Amino acid sequence: MAEMWISMGPQHPMTHGLWTLKVKIDGETIVDTIPDLGYIHRGVEKICESRDFTQITPYCDRLCYASANTWSHSYIYAAENLLEVEVPERAEYIRLIAVEIQRIASHLMWLGAYCPDIGNLTAFVYCLREREMMLDLLQELGGSRMHYNFPRIGGVKRDLPHGFAMRCRAKVKLFLQRIHEYEALLDESTIFLIRTQGVGYAKPEEMVNHGVTGPNLRAGGVNYDVRWAHPYSVYDELDWTPSVERSSVKGADCYDRYRVRLDEMKTSAELILQALDGIPGGAETFHESGDPALIAKAPARASDGQTGFHHFEDPRGESMFYLAGGGDERGKNPYRVSIRSPMFITIPYAAKCMIGYKIADVPAIMGSFDPCIGETDR
Amino acid sequence: MGMKVNHEKQVAAANDVITALEAEFSGEGLSCEVRMHAGGKHQRSYVYIDCPPSIWAIVAETLSEVHAVDHCSMITGIHWPEKSPEMEWQVVVHLMRMSVRNPPSNEGIVMPIISDASILQGSDMPLEFEVSIAIPETRNPSIPSVQHVWVGADWNEKETWDLVGIDFEGHNEMRRVLQPHETPAGFHPLQKQHKLRYHEFNEMYDDAQGFARKSEDIGKVK
Repeated sequence: MAEMWISMGPQHPMTHGLWTLKVKIDGETIVDTIPDLGYIHRGVEKICESRDFTQITPYCDRLCYASANTWSHSYIYAAENLLEVEVPERAEYIRLIAVEIQRIASHLMWLGAYCPDIGNLTAFVYCLREREMMLDLLQELGGSRMHYNFPRIGGVKRDLPHGFAMRCRAKVKLFLQRIHEYEALLDESTIFLIRTQGVGYAKPEEMVNHGVTGPNLRAGGVNYDVRWAHPYSVYDELDWTPSVERSSVKGADCYDRYRVRLDEMKTSAELILQALDGIPGGAETFHESGDPALIAKAPARASDGQTGFHHFEDPRGESMFYLAGGGDERGKNPYRVSIRSPMFITIPYAAKCMIGYKIADVPAIMGSFDPCIGETDR
Repeated sequence: MGMKVNHEKQVAAANDVITALEAEFSGEGLSCEVRMHAGGKHQRSYVYIDCPPSIWAIVAETLSEVHAVDHCSMITGIHWPEKSPEMEWQVVVHLMRMSVRNPPSNEGIVMPIISDASILQGSDMPLEFEVSIAIPETRNPSIPSVQHVWVGADWNEKETWDLVGIDFEGHNEMRRVLQPHETPAGFHPLQKQHKLRYHEFNEMYDDAQGFARKSEDIGKVK
């Protein structure tokens, strides 16, 4: 049978964003793929060169609509390395809580978007129900629903609001119970199992060589996580282990990637509970914004020759900002900002990974890697 | 409490890499040192390597094969038109040693590898690398590609060429990734001769496009 190219996207339910996957098929079997990105390239890196260090944070929020907080934190840690700032411990705990709530919300968004792709619409509604609780918590912290602009260089914008700890504990505990509902919905759904098990095998060594990190890698049976390998924040003071999935001999399939994210949500929920208990000064005390317990004084300028970078564990893998100082004459702006987007590297790998499977497996395999095009195109 | 990599052992592992690299390449202009991240309360070190473009491919192969650097995190380029003739362009490469191996299996059951951070040492120790490659003044900057060493470098190099205009010799199928495919040849927006409109006059609020400036505002700086 003759081979032919099919263009999936830019408008296609599989893409989870705006991009094209060109698929070459022989009958129904995929023999080659070419991903085509850049449909929503906004030039964030160039814009940041003419903004000062505090003005960049909102742009980083907008890199990914599903996990804004992790991206602004990723930038803030790099900027703190550039400007040589040490953050108060209370602020680090608050950041950890904000990032882990965001990680749960992001994984729920992923699960909610993935299930309809492969024929299980019910789980979508359940996932968004719990995501709403997480967004409410983040709204209390940052003041808005999606783009929080929460961290500041040297600390955080605001303390935990009155009663936040109580509401957060209640919601996280309720969430931990409701995870079992997803497991019941999905692990007993024949359609879900048929579509995800045995497709999209990926082996850890190959994934690392291709630059794939994060939950996608841990699904393959290794526990590498930036949060312990290059510790930042206060992850080393809490008792946790990264989620690892026992994959099959051929590597991690779509089902393993689903399991590892489900497990990671539990880990994050437990981290939040521990952080609320361990936060210095107590979770119920409230400091006014600008208090030294929340934010440290930070220089606003970095001279030519200063650089800073930070590897950060994003829900989609390892994200990173590299900043070079000395942008304008006075050093108020960065000279160069460059962003490592985990999905920009993972999408080409996922496209390679689906060669040999059927064309109907494209949404299952692509969705299981959790693509987010906002951060990919920047 | 939680898992934490031992800092002294990490510095020792970084020093091992540095000693070996300097013994092999110092005659060819490579220099390296252990640096510390400046921010945060954790002491965190990384290996900084200053590498001439001519030996970059060999250094990359050595790092990958001898020193178990298995992950290419980011490749990025910077255009420094006013810095110095020795470094008009700079490529910054961030690598990581993750020591990830395929988990072993026993009678068809995979045994996940759970590394214990506190006992890791030597070449299993997670390490960060920053490689700076300075390219002297030229109109056609170019360095060797490391796509064959780390496949993950492929799209990073595409992006660096697309946005900054630094070419990678030996890279196959170089093409535009973030810019439209029909972008004119030679247009690379992160080069410094391309300026955002706000650069020229310090105004960004009432006339963002700069088309219809009010006559009474001309010459004023906000």
